[in-house]
Amino acid sequence: MTVSLVYPPIGFGLGLRASHYEDILNGPRRIDWFEILSENYMVPGGKPLHYLDRIRAEYPLVMHGVSLSIGSTDPLNRDYLRDLKKLAERVQPAWISDHLCWTGVAGKNMHDLLPLPYDGETLDHVASRIQHVQEFLGRRILLENVSSYLTYKRSEMTEWDFLRELCNRADCLILLDVNNIYVSSVNHGFDPIEYLDGVPADRVQQFHLAGHRNLETHIIDTHDEPVVDPVWDLYADALKRFGPVSTMIERDDNIPAFAELADELDHARHIAVETLGSGTHSRRRVVPA
Amino acid sequence: MRRRLPALQEDFQSYLLSLSGAMEQEIVSDTLDARMRLQIYADAYRLRLIEALETDFVALRAALGPEEFDRLGRAYIDANPSDHYSVRYFGRNLGRFLAQTDPYREQPVLADIARFEWAMTDAFDAPDANVATVADMAAVPPNDWPGLRFALHPSLQRIDLQWNASAIWHAADKDEALPAPEQAEYPVGWMIWRQGLQIYFRSLSVDQAWMLDALGDGQNFAEVCEGLTEWIDAQYVAGHAAGLLKQWVTDGLISGFIN
Ligand SMILES: [Fe+2]
Repeated sequence: MTVSLVYPPIGFGLGLRASHYEDILNGPRRIDWFEILSENYMVPGGKPLHYLDRIRAEYPLVMHGVSLSIGSTDPLNRDYLRDLKKLAERVQPAWISDHLCWTGVAGKNMHDLLPLPYDGETLDHVASRIQHVQEFLGRRILLENVSSYLTYKRSEMTEWDFLRELCNRADCLILLDVNNIYVSSVNHGFDPIEYLDGVPADRVQQFHLAGHRNLETHIIDTHDEPVVDPVWDLYADALKRFGPVSTMIERDDNIPAFAELADELDHARHIAVETLGSGTHSRRRVVPA
Repeated sequence: MRRRLPALQEDFQSYLLSLSGAMEQEIVSDTLDARMRLQIYADAYRLRLIEALETDFVALRAALGPEEFDRLGRAYIDANPSDHYSVRYFGRNLGRFLAQTDPYREQPVLADIARFEWAMTDAFDAPDANVATVADMAAVPPNDWPGLRFALHPSLQRIDLQWNASAIWHAADKDEALPAPEQAEYPVGWMIWRQGLQIYFRSLSVDQAWMLDALGDGQNFAEVCEGLTEWIDAQYVAGHAAGLLKQWVTDGLISGFIN
């Protein structure tokens, strides 16, 4: 018997957005779980934490951050890690994720998910920081592949080779953003299937799906539109390769009614059933703490 | 091995901040050239922060108009790069920036609007706390009153405004035409706070503003009454102070009585 590296799957989720709080609490239950943007709830009190607690009482949550800056050459931000751990104690998330990127140096924050060069130096640097964070939080974390718009001349390996090696060294997990793979494959001209094949299947904990803007010369990852067909196709490919991985749709801008996003998520369920057959995508319910 | 990653990140960040430097040489040019690829990040950097400011400063944007607000945003971004892990705090220096920087300081109403809106932002997610009731107040033994101190609700923001920022905010909030800037003869005290999940604000008379600040400084009831005699006749001062306190208890502004 092999012991699974990943946490048990929790089904199909959406990003938790303030404009949906009341619909979530008062409407029909159509969603298995929600992903919160950790920083939105790393505040002292008031409305965000009020709704967080109420929604947590009814749904499993996962925490998704944007400020870990795991690839920065600044020291890890201890205030951030302390606040993140405090929020995790409150939320008891199914898991915690952030991005394979850096967000600033010299104490400044660009509030963007900036790409890393994929070479041995970065690998050593990021792997040791992940180990430190995982030790501090007492759990494995997930790192997400970001959309990128440039390639460094000094990069020595593909993103998927880098991710695989990083997982080996740091014993971390992967949040695979299917849309980001698609966006980057167009922006850099690689084969997204080769990317999927290169990612270690036993490390993939979660999928992201999202919409983007195609500007013909390149694609910008905007999260302000529905998921497009080529990304749905790639999602089906990802399901074939990785099996019934917990899936969520990210919408950060131009946010529609909750029911509309729930419908879009039903399309993901539909693709999963078509691809994997019914019954394979367990809707295991995590009992709220 | 020579560590090259710190220099690369410094160069990249310099490009984002100042649109110059050696970064271009580090980037592959193919279907898009290196400069265009970097420019995608430089544009996104400014747009994201301007969007954050738009969310927090709705009335200021209405007062300036979208184009002028965009120009202000860019000037502020260049002068105050974010140094907090959360973008939530990015706008915290905008009031000061407007008060100190040309050409904005020539229109002091702008700084007042920004300070008013930021106070609401701070009240919104300030710590939760216990709220004392009128019954709690009535239960304080009479002998305890002179030495009694008061814990204010942590969401309370006390600011003084010279201009009609709240009227301008009101109009902007309802998407109505903004009133003309109007200057008061003296700065007016305001309190902005959260009761339940709702944000409230109210102007204060000079004695009310003084008393609220005195409570916040930890003065006891006897000291507060003494100070209020500046404006209130001594024979009425205890009743006046108790009346204000009862109002503020009802408003959810008092978290507890400390004796
Ligand atoms: Fe994502």
